[in-house]
Formats: sequence, C-alpha cells, structure tokens
Amino acid sequence: MDYQKIENQRIGEHYFRMEHPSGLTILVYPKKGFQSVYANMGTKFGSIYSEFLFDGKKVKVPDGTAHYLEHKLFESEDGDAFSKYAKTGASANAFTSFDMTGYLFSCTDKFRESLEILLDLIQTPYFTKETVAKEQGIIGQEIKMYDDNPDWRVMMNLFGGLYQNHPIRLDIAGSVETIAEITPEILYECYNSYYNLHNMVLTVVGGVDPAEVLSIVDANIKPSKAVETSLLLPEEPYQVGKHYVEQIMPIAMPQFELGFKEHCGDQYATDRELACSSVLMQAFVGESSQLYRRLLDEKLINSSFGYEYLEGLGYRSMLFSGESADPQAAAEMIHDAIRQLHKNGLSEESFENARKVVFGKKIAGLDSKQAIAMELINGEFTGREIYASLDALAELTLQDVNERLESQLDADNSCLSVVKGEEG
Amino acid sequence: MSDFIRQTICDGVAFSSIRDDRFKVGRLSATLLVPLKPKSAAANALLSCVLTRSCKRYPDFTALGQKLDSLYGASLYPSVRQLGDYQAITIAAAGINDAYAYDGMSVSSEIADLLCSILFEPNVQGGLFSSEDMEQERRQLLESIDAEYNDKRLYAIKQCVETMCQGEAYAIGRCGSREDVQALKNEDIYAAWKALLDQAQVELTMIGQSDPEKAFRGFEKYFGGAPRKNVLASPVPHTPGEIRRAGKTEELSQSKLVMGFRSACFQNDEDCLANSLMSAVLGGTPTSKLFLNVREKESLCYYCVSRVDNNKGIMLIDSGVETENIEKTEESIFRQLHLLQQGEVTDAELEEARLAIKNSLLSALDSPAAMQGYYIGGLLKTHQLSPSEAAQTVDRISKERVIELANCVQPDTIFALRGEK
Repeated sequence: MDYQKIENQRIGEHYFRMEHPSGLTILVYPKKGFQSVYANMGTKFGSIYSEFLFDGKKVKVPDGTAHYLEHKLFESEDGDAFSKYAKTGASANAFTSFDMTGYLFSCTDKFRESLEILLDLIQTPYFTKETVAKEQGIIGQEIKMYDDNPDWRVMMNLFGGLYQNHPIRLDIAGSVETIAEITPEILYECYNSYYNLHNMVLTVVGGVDPAEVLSIVDANIKPSKAVETSLLLPEEPYQVGKHYVEQIMPIAMPQFELGFKEHCGDQYATDRELACSSVLMQAFVGESSQLYRRLLDEKLINSSFGYEYLEGLGYRSMLFSGESADPQAAAEMIHDAIRQLHKNGLSEESFENARKVVFGKKIAGLDSKQAIAMELINGEFTGREIYASLDALAELTLQDVNERLESQLDADNSCLSVVKGEEG
Repeated sequence: MSDFIRQTICDGVAFSSIRDDRFKVGRLSATLLVPLKPKSAAANALLSCVLTRSCKRYPDFTALGQKLDSLYGASLYPSVRQLGDYQAITIAAAGINDAYAYDGMSVSSEIADLLCSILFEPNVQGGLFSSEDMEQERRQLLESIDAEYNDKRLYAIKQCVETMCQGEAYAIGRCGSREDVQALKNEDIYAAWKALLDQAQVELTMIGQSDPEKAFRGFEKYFGGAPRKNVLASPVPHTPGEIRRAGKTEELSQSKLVMGFRSACFQNDEDCLANSLMSAVLGGTPTSKLFLNVREKESLCYYCVSRVDNNKGIMLIDSGVETENIEKTEESIFRQLHLLQQGEVTDAELEEARLAIKNSLLSALDSPAAMQGYYIGGLLKTHQLSPSEAAQTVDRISKERVIELANCVQPDTIFALRGEK
C-alpha cells in the first residue's frame, strides 16, 4: 500500500495519505489534543454530473439525482444510518454540492463504531420503489424551502445567466417534477458508477491516529473493481447568456449577486491560480479597500457584502454579493472600479496587505476540522494540496497577480442577478 | 489545555482565560450584559457597530481596516445576543499566533491593545461619536433589521415570539425595534457607551496560546478603579392562558409553522441541562420523536425542530410544510409532545438524546469560538459548569425528571406564515 506522510514546516503539522488496496484513498490528519474526530467520506459526484459515461455507456439522469441518492443512501435494509449513529452519539450529516457528495460525522466517543457505520452506509445501497417514493414529500419540502430563500435564488439565477449550457445552471435538489422521475434503477446506476471505492476519498481529522483508521477500514471494506466513468459536459461559450436577471419575491431588502465569467479549459484551477484570485479579490474589494469604502459611503452595500471565487470543471467566475437598496448602482460602481483596475493593476502595498489577510485566514482555517477535511477532499478531487496552497501564497508575487488579472474580471462578460420585493 | 481560570477584576467584572496551545488563532472578547429595555437595546446595538468602526488611534474605517490587514487579517467584530430578558453585547478580536507571522509581528499583543482602544478610547470628540460613523452604521443596522423579513424561517419565529411575549422585555429583541434605532440621537450613543462601561456586568474571555497577562492588565487598568452598580434580576416564570393564534399570508412556496410554549425556567446548570435533554428527546436530533414521526413517518416536512431557551423558559418548535398540511402538522406535533408527557419515552430514546447532547458539549472544547460562545451563553447562570462537567451531569439526569419537565411545557402561541402561490 502506498503510505505517505505529508509535512509542513511552516505550521508544524502533518497528515497521512494512503491508497488502500480496496481502491479507497484515505487521508488522516491528526490534531494533537483534540477531543473530537471528524470524518468525511466523499465521492466526486454532484449535481453537475447529469450526463456521464459509465463503462462506455452514456447515462443521463433527472435533475436532483445526486442529492436524492444522498438522502436514500442513509437508508439500508436494516434501518437508517441516523438511528445507528444515535447509538454512538456521533453527530452525522451529508451534503450534495455541484461537484461532490459527502457523508460525515463528528464524535467525541466510540470512533470505531461510528466509522463502521459510515463505511457500512456507503457500501449497502438499498433502494426500493417504496423507499424512493417516501422521500418525495421530504425532499419536496426541502426544494420549496430553497425556492423561498432569496440567498439561494439570487445565486442560482446568476448561474443561469452566466452559463448557457453548463449543468451548474441546474438546481442541486432538482424540482418537484424532475425528482418524480427518479427510480431505484437510476439510483443504482449512479451508485455503481460513482460510489465505486476508486472514486471515493475518506478523510479523518482530529484526535485520531492513522493506524486505527486503517485497521477499521481493513476490517470493514469490500474491495471493488475499478470502473470507467467520465463526466460529459456540453460546449460552453465564453460569453455569458444574459447580462441581467431578476426575480420578484416577498422580501424587504433587495439582494444582488454579480458574476464575472472567465475562460476555463477542461482542468481545475491550480493552487497558484486560486492564490492569485483570492489575493486579487481581497485587495480589490476587501474591507480596507477603496472600493469597499466607496460602496459603503454611497450606501450601496452593508455588512452582508461578500465575494467568492466559484470554480470547478468547466466553470470559473468571480462573484460579489450582498443586500443593496440599489443593486444596479452597486454593480455599476464595481464595473467602474474594474476598468480602473485593468488600467493600473494592483499596487504593491495593497497586494502585500491582501496577501497577509488571505494567509492569516488560511492559517485560521487549520483550527477547523471541517475546513481541513473539505480542503483535503477537494485537493484529492482537483489535484490541489492543502500545504501547497499555503506555499503558493507565500511565494506569490505582485506580477503573478497582475498577469493573471488580464484574463479575469472581464467587465463585458458579467451578469447581475437581482432578487427584490414587489415595490423595490 | 489549561483549566478555565476565572479572576475577578472588581465587583461585576470578571476575566476568564484558557491557555491552550492547540489552536492557531487566539481569541479575546469583552461581553457587556444588561437588562433588555426598548431604547437602550437599540442604542447598545448601534453602539457596538460604531465602536468597531474606528477609534482614537485609527479614527477612520479604512485606517482601522488596514491595521487589521497588517495583523494578518485579524478580526474585530461586534455581536449582540439575547440571553432571556438580557442583552449581551460582545466585541471580539481574533488573530493568528505570533509564531506564524512571517514578518515577526506580535499579533497577540497588538490585538489586545486594539480591543482596549476600541472599548475605552473610542473616536469621541466633545462628548459625541462621529456623526458620519453613526449614520453609516445606523443605515446598516436598519437594513439588517429589514432583511430579517428575507429569511422566512427566522421571520416566522420572530413573529411568534413577539406575539407570545408581548409586554415582556423578551419581545424587544436583541437590537430593539426599527423605530427605536431610527430615533436614536448621537448623544444617546455616547450615553449608552458610558452606561455600559459603568453598569453592565462585564465578562472578559481569552482563549489561545498567548499569555493572558497583558490583556488582563489592560482591562484591569480601566475597570479596577471606581465601584460599580450592576444588578441582574432573576427571570420571572410566566403561565400562559388560552392558546393564542396569529398568522399571515404571503406569496411563498412553503408555509412556516411556529409553536411557542412556556417551559420551566432555571438558573442552575443541572436543571437547564435536564430541560435541554427533554427538548432533545422531543425534537432536537435525527432520532427524536418529531424527526422520526413528523418527517420520516408522515413525510410532512424537511425539518421539524424543538429548542428551549433556558434563560427565559420558552420552548419553540418550528417546521416548513405545505399550506394544506399546517393543521395536520400541528396535530402531529401535539401528539408527540403528549406522548412524552405521558411518559412514553424508551430507554433508547433517552440514551440517544443524552449522547447527542454530550457530543455537542464536548465538541465545543475543540473550538475557541464555540467555547467562547458556551461561556457567554451561560452568563445568567448562578454557577456555570465546564463543558466536561456538564457532560458528566447529563449522565445523571433521570427519565422521571425528563417527563416531569415535559409536563411543565404549556402551549402559548401558534404562528403560521401561510404560503400562497
């Protein structure tokens, strides 16, 4: 078995990476003195996997299938996983994002038993007509909850405007109509493709040692034969589909999200590219920036304002969002500042300050078991690495950021999404 | 990790610290606790935002922001929390340990200085805060109050509580009303600052690798002098009469049902934990009665959750459902509560809820933010147990006690936000 210890001198920590003979990749990040252990087992299968090749065969699934599968995997023939976890006291959950599904628990006692439950739930799919039908009501209510959530709507409407064909446009949970098409057969097909251990990663962070994790995995996992799967993505033009999208909802404060679509090939962004983007956004519109100050002074944003770099297979965008009494004016001011930024580039001073902030936040993230586990899993799926991201920041130069800026924040390739009340 | 050390600076001012070398970030906080009153609640909330915007040394929002940037993105932020009929205003500062600073800067000592400057040397001229700062923060606070309506789950909960506790301090809410914030004058903010420093119960906490000595001295210098006159009263239990019903109709996909109950109210940790255990059995976990029946068996909802506020003696249950299922869900929730009151609780149900509570208590020990929240949340208690002691206490709570407490739960107000499309 391939067994590596990965260390970082700067922060004095390390973790272990193992390729288990079963096909499963295991990452164990010990945190000395921690009471609790956090485990996350993930597969590279999320809502954008709506069309894929499985052993040479093309499969297309209804919107919301990955999320439905997440709900249903919690149930086996001998009861649901929540009731099993309840016996160990672990707090368990699962989530589906655009590009992965994760099953997690956090415990302060009975780690072995809890990990056995996790490994068992992943390996024992049990989908019948009845159990699949039962979930329609529950997920239907989850969908409706999101339908009324302006944060969610403003974001999904934005993706619908930025992207013309890419499945990031699709709501993660699907709609009441699409989930009605989901059958046990569809769930089994997805399970067989993407819940193969060769496509999965187990991450454990906290007061735990790798030998213990390994012994539990050894005793509880059935090896699986590798299968061929690949995501099929439609052709996506560089241009955004729409420059403006709007939805009326019963809300008091209008909300906006402004996105700038970027070129992206068929690869994930590298650690260095992500470091550039983070520093650029922090310098451009972090709380101490001139732009942030102007937006506040003109009463166009409030403390809900934030930014994010959205990135995955076939999509890359910079996003700015928040509540605003006048979203159009806020977007205009950001656009003006972008034109200035392209003319002048970042200054040495704002670059240095922004790099310090991003570095400090990364270090702070290492106090959180959840954040570490997410970064390790993401790293495994995208070819990035948690410590390499710190090194990339430490080595970053102003020139790197300014060069990359040339292909980012294209003022002509943006979309503004607004959600507001009737009279707003 | 060191023990939790609590030192008294003077009457009503305490400094608690945990020296812990497991964390990369150190956290320092000052919490000022006062009874909730309409006008002062709004003034204190606005003050907390104005204070963290600038200070004498960094008299401008951007200058203070740049200082924080140079401390590797150290954060300085206000938060206002409601503890029963009290308001807790916290200003927290956090920054990475000195060892990780690549330019040799002492982040920990700088943030301790900064927090003292923010609290004790604000940007005040001639007895007034800067009008520009105040207007900017007032606008943002008003917008955040308006935005509460954007989140329908929280909005429905707030509506239920306001109806239920009309006339009680509890209904004022953590930031006061929109009108109270609107009416504040600059002098009110200054008066609020003076009153908080002179009269609030003050709880200072420090968690992290650094020596707490420096922060302790900084606070001692200020608070060590004059005698203080803060008093905290005990909560008054409330007996509901007939069930009150309130509601509203909106253009929504999903309806929200919020049921407000009066529950027992305590100031000692053991009884509070027993009350929390009761609520966990009913609807606090994925194996609780509400989750297994209302969600799993009847497929009525995605969430149906109960929680108690031990500082007030209130239990709330809320769920998101189809409009035509509101009554059915309400009946189903009452049925589960009655079963618990009649003693229908298995040993397994009780053990599972116990384990879930213990897990969440002990998990707090691994997060400085969670630990800080834990101690601030317990400020009204007469004697506060550490998370580990609390976890041991949970083991001793009997089934009879849980059933007894379930029988103290009485329905008060039912609020429905009806969706119509």
